Amino acid sequence: MTTGLTRPDGPAKLTGTAHYAADADTSDALAAALVTTTVPNGRLTALHTADAEAAPGVVRVLTRADLPPLGELSTPPLGFPVPPLLEDTVHHEGEPIAVVLAETWEQARHAATLVRAEYADVTPAVPFGQAEDVVPHGGLVFGETDESKGDVTAGLAAADVSVTATYTTADRHHSPIEPHATLARWDGDQLVLHSSVQSVLFAQAALAALFGVPPENVRVFCPFVGGGFGCKGFVWPHIPLAAAAARVTGRPVKLVLTRAQMFTLAGHQPATRQTVSLGATSDGRLTALRHTSSNASAQLGDYCENTPHGSTWMYASPAIETSTRIQRLHRPGPTPMRSPHEGPGMFALESAMDELAHELGMDPVELRLRNEPEVDPLTGEPFSSRKLVECLREGARRFGWSERNPEIGSMRDGHELIGWGMAAATMDSPRSPSSARLRIDHTGHVVVETGMQEIGTGLPAMVQAVAAETLGCPPEDVAVRHGDSDFPPHTGTFGSMSTMGLGSAVRAAAESALEKLGAEPGDPLAGALAEAGLTELESEGRWSPEGGGMTRGRTGGYSIHTYGSIFVEVRVDPDLGLLRMSRAVGVYAGGRILNPLAARSQMIGGITWGYGQAVLEQSVFEPNLGRFLSKNLAGYIVPVNADIGEIDVSFVDDDDRVASAIGAKGIGELGAVGVSAAIANAVFHATGRRVRDLPIRIHHLLP
Amino acid sequence: MNTAVSTMEFLRPATLAEALETKAAHPEAVPLAGGTDLMVELNFDRRRPPALLDLTRITELAEWSEVDGHIRIGATVPYARIITELGSRLPGLAMAARTVGSPQIRNRGTLGGNLGSASPAGDGHPPLLAGHATVELASVRGSRRVPVDAFFLGPKRSVVEPDELVVAVRVPPATGPQQFAKVGPRNAMVIAVCAFALALHPENGTVGTGIGSAGPTPLRARDAEEFLAAELDWAGGRPLPEGVAERFGELVAAAARPIDDVRGTAAYRGHALAVLARRTLTWAWRDHTGRGSCG
Repeated sequence: MTTGLTRPDGPAKLTGTAHYAADADTSDALAAALVTTTVPNGRLTALHTADAEAAPGVVRVLTRADLPPLGELSTPPLGFPVPPLLEDTVHHEGEPIAVVLAETWEQARHAATLVRAEYADVTPAVPFGQAEDVVPHGGLVFGETDESKGDVTAGLAAADVSVTATYTTADRHHSPIEPHATLARWDGDQLVLHSSVQSVLFAQAALAALFGVPPENVRVFCPFVGGGFGCKGFVWPHIPLAAAAARVTGRPVKLVLTRAQMFTLAGHQPATRQTVSLGATSDGRLTALRHTSSNASAQLGDYCENTPHGSTWMYASPAIETSTRIQRLHRPGPTPMRSPHEGPGMFALESAMDELAHELGMDPVELRLRNEPEVDPLTGEPFSSRKLVECLREGARRFGWSERNPEIGSMRDGHELIGWGMAAATMDSPRSPSSARLRIDHTGHVVVETGMQEIGTGLPAMVQAVAAETLGCPPEDVAVRHGDSDFPPHTGTFGSMSTMGLGSAVRAAAESALEKLGAEPGDPLAGALAEAGLTELESEGRWSPEGGGMTRGRTGGYSIHTYGSIFVEVRVDPDLGLLRMSRAVGVYAGGRILNPLAARSQMIGGITWGYGQAVLEQSVFEPNLGRFLSKNLAGYIVPVNADIGEIDVSFVDDDDRVASAIGAKGIGELGAVGVSAAIANAVFHATGRRVRDLPIRIHHLLP
Repeated sequence: MNTAVSTMEFLRPATLAEALETKAAHPEAVPLAGGTDLMVELNFDRRRPPALLDLTRITELAEWSEVDGHIRIGATVPYARIITELGSRLPGLAMAARTVGSPQIRNRGTLGGNLGSASPAGDGHPPLLAGHATVELASVRGSRRVPVDAFFLGPKRSVVEPDELVVAVRVPPATGPQQFAKVGPRNAMVIAVCAFALALHPENGTVGTGIGSAGPTPLRARDAEEFLAAELDWAGGRPLPEGVAERFGELVAAAARPIDDVRGTAAYRGHALAVLARRTLTWAWRDHTGRGSCG
């Protein structure tokens, strides 16, 4: 039984009293429905709105001419670079071209079907793989597009054994259960937004810039997010459209995206094509590592899925070379999705490592152990902490890896083939500023306020844990208020950053309170306040990484990343081509674990997410229609409880005071990394089939 | 383009007699029970019928009983009750019911709705075919019973007349082993790529089969049934003769009329049906003979 703090927000969620964006009071609000393009490119030449305007309940149909002027803004914070409705040019299918406002949601949706659009110059959408690879530019390029050290060509030539293979991953959609929802209300030049976002700070800053008002005039509420996974990180078109509609009509406007619109107006993880070359000496030491990648991107706002990034710090190699390119296509804009970059990238690297181990006749765990670097292999800088070896050894022990018969197809159970496979996991450690306000009342009860959103990961319990540990009080004496842009700012609940930033800020606030009281941790707080002659004490805490802004993992002279190992057992029904994962063991090094209960839940979710990537999730882009084929959760399928076998999660001791003041690192996305490679490697062990294209489907496994 | 607002009447009869009168007066009204199919279609705007006929107030449709040695399942009995209350007497149907959707869907969805929709992928259909079920239809003109293998006419089309309602299904209680197997990309909440049901009827030495998601309608594999009935050693319970399971699988696959679609290819469906037929036969014969067997 894993111990830790249960979620203080649990009862409210379980009983339905936790308020989400669409629950905001709407008694006087207009309902908005978007009209979107039905073609992938060309020009919008006419828009006929009369029928919609005449439909019952319709108050107004907004097109470009009706919008207030909007300021210019970059991507990010915008999710898609063009503010909605402003251009004739069609960038992708599903792009907003009009907003229907009606008294009810049903009336608005019905009237939206009555708006007719005319287009010209529409051409077939070029599929991914048939456009030119280009170097990406702009704000959605995270990290370098090209990195190298040493001579990879010479390293491969000198190798005793080498492997080169191409791997692909599919277009995937975040698919949170709660769709995007926004209620916008203007009072003079003051804007109030209730919106399902992963950063009230981004939403506040973006809306202020677009509407030309100071940020303090924009207040954003979002205490709870019903799942985001990255699709609510940036500001997508519906938020400015709701605010613009509210401004134009003088009434509050509520805009909830349909499930289908979630497939075009909230980003996705783009398909990637990656090639990995590895060279090694006969004793398994790498002589060269090359990892190149291309991903599908939109016409505007290059999004780079930096899949080779992890390959630059994972293994010791005298020569490393990576590059990332994109193809600009007429499709919706991609965005980071759990787990960006390393999620699709480690599928390729860790599959290639398994291929190399097989060619060498070496155990795949041993191959990784032999290539453990002392320092960051690309930069030569020290690791802030790196416990990959411990994760590999402990994972192998917990899984029973030593019982594995390496021979292909050697393990059977009835008509099923059993395979055991493994992979290493890693995530970059981006970090960002955060802050918190802490109040202690005369009874000794503590309230912490922060702009953070509770997104399902258990952040309020983390805040309780850190405040209680620092103050030396019971966690249940700490109440957490969150999700209001008037609270001290928190950069965002994305990028696995919140625990490092917010936890460190809460600790600073608690230490400041103790200092003001002249108290020691564990002193009764009510008594300390009485002694100081106070009825209430307030303190603020801030934390930011070196430099004060958002950083990536290589910063301040250190290489800061998280690590893990994942071991899986798969069962393949060779007659039917069916694949299931019966067992998984994940061991992780993610800094100090503040709440083991929530941490374990997070990793179970991550492994399940990785199973989805490996076996189920794929948004098919239909070239003739120029759009994603199944814009619903019946066609786009994700794992269900019945798919998931036994999952064993544990953490090795780790404490990284470089990464954060509390020794923690971010683990939110780490659990989903490596799972697909471990599954593909296990499929190879079971069947001898090397599947290099995700998801693994029936036709990959049939005789 | 239809710019008029179409209204939809919501008709809520309290009794079956009232429902039949309502249906006669509004033949275009679409019956609504669990709504697990219909509400999805309405939500996606795939159809907008002028009227819905809500059957959920009619208690006589929501019960099962024993009539003339058959289990008579009211049209609005949900899958969850078929599983818990009829699992031992109609094991094949209960197995299929367990694979329907999620617990929430099984609490709402009904066998009557499955038949009314007449989808070739309906999970309830193969065990009804294998179990020699009869569908009971009623209208103000009277009632009639249709063997389930004569019920389906094409994709989402059945013999139900515009003024008729599906009121019940009559299924003989199992007298021998029954099996159901389904292929899908995940373990729950899937539309079958293909499905197969098998019922052995030792009391008269016959075999029942049902194929789902591999033809324009749910299908019986009659040649396979006849072949297997003749090959099985009903009295002696000898192990399956060499090659019988394979031949049975081939005949089942031959009876299917699958197409390529987004869920699978026709070739895969035929192949998978043969595998499912072999496996379900092996399991069922092992149950019947009380012996282990491999296949």
